[in-house]
Amino acid sequence: MLIGAAGIFGLVMVLVGLAFRRKDTIDGDGQQVRLWIIGFGLVFPALVLGALLLYGLTIGERLSPRAGANVVQVTAEARRWEWRFTYSDAPALETTGVLHIPAGLPVDIAITTADVIHSFWVPRLAGKLDAIPGHTNTLRLEADRPGTFQGVSAEFSGAGYDAFAFRVIAHDKAAWAAFLQGQLE
Amino acid sequence: MKALERHRKLTAIWASEEGFKGWFSTVNHNDLGRMFLFTAFIFFIIGGLLAMLIRVQLATPHSAFAGPEIYNQIFTMHGTVMMFLFAIPTFEGLAIYLLPKMLGSRDLAFPRLTAYGFWCYAFGGSMLIVAMLFGIAPDGGWFMYPPLTSAIHSPGINTDFWLIGITFVEISAIAAAVEITVSVLKYRAPGMSLDKMPIFAWYALITALMILTGFPPLILGSVLLELERAFGLPFFQADLGGDSLLWQHLFWLFGHPEVYIIFLPAAGVISTVLPVMCRTTLLGYGWIVSAAVALAFLSFGLWVHHMFTTGIPHMGLAFFSAASTLVAVPTGLQIFAWIGTMWKGRPEMHLPMLHILGFFFTFVIGGLTGVMVAVVPFDWQAHDTAFITAHLHYVLFGGFVFPIFAGIYYWLPHFTGQKRFFYLGQLAFALVFIGFHVTFLAMHWVGLLGQRRRISSYAPEDGWTAINLISSVGSFILAIGIALILIDVLLHIFTAHRGRRNPWNAPSLEWAMITPAPAYTFASLPHITRRDPLHAEPDLAVRLARGEGYLGTPRNNWRETLCVDIASGKPEMHVIYPTNTRLPIVMSAVTGLFFLSLLLKFYWTVPLALAGVAFLAWRWVWRLGHGHDPEMQPCGHGISLPNAATVERSPGWWGSAFLLTANATFFAALLFGFVFLWTVAPGWPPPEWFAPSVTELGTGVIGALVAPLALGHAIRVNRQGGAPFPSVIIALLGIVALGLACGALMWRAPAPTDHAYGATLLVLGGYGVFHATVAALMGGFLAAQIRQGYTSATRRAAFAIVRLWITYTSLTGLFILLAAHLPGLIP
Amino acid sequence: MTVILRILIAPLVWLVCFSAVYGLHALACDSAFGAFAGSSTARIVLLVAFVLALALQLAIFWYLHRPNQAAPAGFLRFVTRASAWTGLVATIWTLFPVVALSTCT
Ligand code: HEM
Ligand SMILES: [Cu+2]
Repeated sequence: MLIGAAGIFGLVMVLVGLAFRRKDTIDGDGQQVRLWIIGFGLVFPALVLGALLLYGLTIGERLSPRAGANVVQVTAEARRWEWRFTYSDAPALETTGVLHIPAGLPVDIAITTADVIHSFWVPRLAGKLDAIPGHTNTLRLEADRPGTFQGVSAEFSGAGYDAFAFRVIAHDKAAWAAFLQGQLE
Repeated sequence: MKALERHRKLTAIWASEEGFKGWFSTVNHNDLGRMFLFTAFIFFIIGGLLAMLIRVQLATPHSAFAGPEIYNQIFTMHGTVMMFLFAIPTFEGLAIYLLPKMLGSRDLAFPRLTAYGFWCYAFGGSMLIVAMLFGIAPDGGWFMYPPLTSAIHSPGINTDFWLIGITFVEISAIAAAVEITVSVLKYRAPGMSLDKMPIFAWYALITALMILTGFPPLILGSVLLELERAFGLPFFQADLGGDSLLWQHLFWLFGHPEVYIIFLPAAGVISTVLPVMCRTTLLGYGWIVSAAVALAFLSFGLWVHHMFTTGIPHMGLAFFSAASTLVAVPTGLQIFAWIGTMWKGRPEMHLPMLHILGFFFTFVIGGLTGVMVAVVPFDWQAHDTAFITAHLHYVLFGGFVFPIFAGIYYWLPHFTGQKRFFYLGQLAFALVFIGFHVTFLAMHWVGLLGQRRRISSYAPEDGWTAINLISSVGSFILAIGIALILIDVLLHIFTAHRGRRNPWNAPSLEWAMITPAPAYTFASLPHITRRDPLHAEPDLAVRLARGEGYLGTPRNNWRETLCVDIASGKPEMHVIYPTNTRLPIVMSAVTGLFFLSLLLKFYWTVPLALAGVAFLAWRWVWRLGHGHDPEMQPCGHGISLPNAATVERSPGWWGSAFLLTANATFFAALLFGFVFLWTVAPGWPPPEWFAPSVTELGTGVIGALVAPLALGHAIRVNRQGGAPFPSVIIALLGIVALGLACGALMWRAPAPTDHAYGATLLVLGGYGVFHATVAALMGGFLAAQIRQGYTSATRRAAFAIVRLWITYTSLTGLFILLAAHLPGLIP
Repeated sequence: MTVILRILIAPLVWLVCFSAVYGLHALACDSAFGAFAGSSTARIVLLVAFVLALALQLAIFWYLHRPNQAAPAGFLRFVTRASAWTGLVATIWTLFPVVALSTCT
């Protein structure tokens, strides 16, 4: 996308630059309209944008959560300025500031808030999704290997917003089982 | 009469009062346009200083410059000042100053309204600045999302300053928009049909229409949020049947069109200046007008792209992603039409041209990053990072500030009648250009690295230190550049160096007058046969000064102009303007009292202020009355025209029609809010439903049907020379009945602080009562006019205006009553 | 005024239809509407709305392209027809997701 954009930008700048060549002024707009307005102005953007749109929608469709077996369910509840996570596989567990997930399995995170709007964002794992009072939003993500990932809240929430972060720890099979047993601290 | 004598006479008629007193009583677009631009520029400097503070804060990690409490005020005020107090008013000022001159008229449609709008802007803007000086400025970000901005989470007065101050300023935007719309449609030189209008007028018209339909949702949102904060009506509280998402919809329903409201006038400047710089004509005039129309509409279908991360299902997002890519097509069309214009002509490197090149470079990048964030998955990452901030500045600075600088340099000789001779401007441009791109390219980058927007500090471990420092250094180069532009302009104003008239050899009418422009603009009004009148007739200015056009003979101390038919530009009526008066400033001060009372919670002065506004408004229109039938006026070139008070569709009718367009958008947004809460908000159904009443509904419906019919009857009777008084009284009674039914709705609405349902019914009823009051006042006014002998079969303009308002009130009243009562009546 | 209205009508109708379909979709995916939510009925309702919007645009398009309907002046006719195109293309471009995407995920 970046390369395409750079290409288009370069093209436009070259066209602007070439306008400064010495040349005769042109009378009669007919042919100019066809070239600049219909060609460059309508057809070209429509093609590029149409392609981009289809591409974006295809990806978006792939990223959308879909019902399936083996999806781990967790809940993330935000409040100023702390995240609390609960796990449907171990209803007694609640963690604060750290979300534990299994690696290699799709996870659905049900995001809510107890006060103002926040946003759940782990850049390495998925895009953002907001936590909105009275609504529950579900984000699908999957860590393909065990590890620790940084997350932040990405919706301005007042004075403590700067430091409003959390961590996501993706466990391998054994560690995840241990976590669910409450044996991991 | 010699040209000089004519000039003296016209100046005597049109002049404002001497000295600074004149500022308070002037209603002339020349003065007010300049006052708008000057004030907007002051706010630009304030906003710019705030931007510098932001960049100081972010220059180093763990910055100790300002704590988050202060920093949050700084960036909120920066965004707010730039969007509401700089960008929109700059457009208004430019349009107010230029339009009558470009259109070949002597002033705008409603001179006193221009003044009223200016003072509302000045007072409302000052309120916000005062709040900032006291350290109690708004701090919730420029889009003020509740519940962060609701009373629980922002108990201070800060947010109220935003909601009330901005609403006050919006009044001026709506006023200016009505003004501009009517002026472009009706106040043109004879012969100037729509296809011969200067392109800037098209842009101004479209922008004004967008303001009329774009701002009401925001005004509604502000009203609702302020009601929630002040009286606990829970529109945005999820546990009481409200929904904070409603605010986001209302805000962005305004917020996205806002971006184009800012861009389109700038595009108008480019379409005007660029061909002159290239010694040619604009390529594809009709295409560009069509593209601007398309842009205006498409931009209303994009608002959800600011809400891609709020959890709306993918197909919902896809609609808006698609619309967001589509809107780039007409934008691209304009860009390429301009490039084609450059190819067609011979571009010359004057200072305005440099800024236009700055525009091309910057805006194209901004447009491309805009298309990127229109792609949903990309936005899920980029949303609320510095990448977005960088993108929006490429669009706003590139798409507005550069073109405005180009415009300033282009029209400076017009404001001052002088010629530039320094090369300071070129240096200043270079600094602005370099500084801007260093600042914001760096911000794109750091945003992609994950820096969120609106943070006041970050850690060295984040690895953003160097980039932020670069960005801050860039912003200081930018600031120096802008300061140099300011100095350049001041030097220009204060060093006398007489230039020639029309220094750019431009084709448009605003150059067909002496500069600096006289208060009356044209000594006589031109007849237009082509889109480039000054190229068609290079000596047009001289001929107009000699009085060879329309209305060339000053008479009766009248400030006169002509109105034309919208499409063809055929002269249609003769208008006599009101003269200097302090009424506008007094009225906006009383309006300010209303807003201040709300802000400081002095509720007992609220009705006082409202009564004051009503009283002043009454006087405002009363003065326009005629005691006897005005005759047809000879207007030159052998035509005689009827006075505006004797036509069916007077300027006041057109003004009302467009004001009601804005009002209808407000009402539609309110109904949308009702449906939205009902269907989407959690916490429904409400604990208690409204008990419908056939009596109330019946009274209201009958009133709503009777009122417009009775007034229609009054009009027919009046036209036939009969006595319209009784029918007007019946119409009044109908309106009162409607008002009572709406009042009963307010009275009986289920406890409005318990649930958003009752709260919304209260607001709907209040809307009905308010409009019934206004319509009743107007009906009463009409009755008083009839009694005073101010109307006749000829003097009939007032009837049509009152009918418009009464019909509107009846229609909306019907909607309100049905929305409240029907659900309960249907089993 | 009618000349202005003729210019505005097609994109205005697009805007109304666009907002309506979006609203309809939001409702179709709202669990408050029980069995309807996300079902194939929801999809069919959306498709019908899309087709209606398209039909409306085509009707306007045809109306504005009738020889005697366009304003006499070449310029106004051009702008009117250009916005007829705008409305039509916008309807197709912005509402095609109804056909192509999954309804409620
Ligand atoms: C004079 C040069 C300018 C500089 C150096 C500048 C700098 C900045 C910076 C650094 C931020 C981001 C703060 C953050 O969220 O991290 C910001 C925010 C913003 N700026 Fe500017 N800006 C400038 C001009 C403008 C102009 C001309 C406009 C509009 C016409 C504008 C509108 C905004 C808006 C709307 C925001 C968002 C505020 C918010 O998040 O609530 N800026 N600006
Ligand atoms: Cu937008």
